[in-house]
Amino acid sequence: MKVTDLVVAASIVALALLLSYAMFLGGIGPVPVRSELRTLALNYILLTYNPAKIIYSALAPEGVTAIVWDYRGLDTYFETAVMFLAIISVVALTHGCKVRIGLGKGGMSLIVKTTTRILMPLIVLAGVSITMHGWLTPGGGFQGGATIAVATVLALVTYSIDTLAKHGIRKKILLAMRSTGLIGIALTAVALLIIGLAVGVNAYIFQNQERIGSPLAFPAYFSGTPTGGSLLFYNLFEAFAVSAGLSLAIIVTSLREEEVKETLRGEGVE
Amino acid sequence: MIDLIAALLMAVAAVTSIVFTYLAVVEKNLIQAVVFSAVQSTMYALIYFLLMAPDIVLVYLPVGVGIYPAIILLLIKKTDKVDE
Repeated sequence: MKVTDLVVAASIVALALLLSYAMFLGGIGPVPVRSELRTLALNYILLTYNPAKIIYSALAPEGVTAIVWDYRGLDTYFETAVMFLAIISVVALTHGCKVRIGLGKGGMSLIVKTTTRILMPLIVLAGVSITMHGWLTPGGGFQGGATIAVATVLALVTYSIDTLAKHGIRKKILLAMRSTGLIGIALTAVALLIIGLAVGVNAYIFQNQERIGSPLAFPAYFSGTPTGGSLLFYNLFEAFAVSAGLSLAIIVTSLREEEVKETLRGEGVE
Repeated sequence: MIDLIAALLMAVAAVTSIVFTYLAVVEKNLIQAVVFSAVQSTMYALIYFLLMAPDIVLVYLPVGVGIYPAIILLLIKKTDKVDE
């Protein structure tokens, strides 16, 4: 590290500190008063879990999940679709490439492998726990799914792509899981609408509890514990989709040169 | 008092993240740059935690420290390790 580096870093830090001080003094724009809770935030806090006003409520104690999947469900659906599209394009780039077993050296030392074998179930368990409590405590489908995907990363680095392929973690299966998750989310979104059409009652897409003009609702309690109605299904399917999607992205990026080159050359000849 | 401690910790984490962002940008060794970037992610996760946004922390930790460096390292493995 050179002296110039230090000087530049120090000056950037000084600029950031000066800017934040100016902002604190109100020099850049008005600063909202801290004790004041804005009306929008107050509404969400009062209505997220409110059995007295079910018509506006998601009946889930966790406000963020309620906003993400109930009040602003359509936004999240398209976000998930965008991520699906990104992963589809990564897969399309390496279309036709297959894992050839026996190319690598077979991973790291026995110590690392054993440690990973102990750690991996714990990581997966933490991910499942984050998912399954998504409507009660902070967390949810994306968080849990990303945590589960970390286990795949660990397995890929310490064992090898061969071992994953041998244990059935292949591109096709992961892509099928990812698609199942997305279809599950879409079906949950229109489930009440389909029931409403069949029974002949009004219903909306992304409906969770009873809404104005629609008496249909997902079951809000399971043996006395709040389930957040549709939030349970959204979280489960999202965890499914995200864990499979991120694992797929990791596996596709770790394909070795020999495997990719062969396919690309073959396509050029045709 | 707790508010003040939290604010101070946030300030320290924010300043550290700036330094590590700068280091990640100028570093010629790409693997070291990824590590600097991961440290910056950790600092951001700490800030989110202190700002009482645990949902974001739970996304940021696996993505910013686990998956993102892993993908970048895998890609660096396929190219040059040093940025010319």
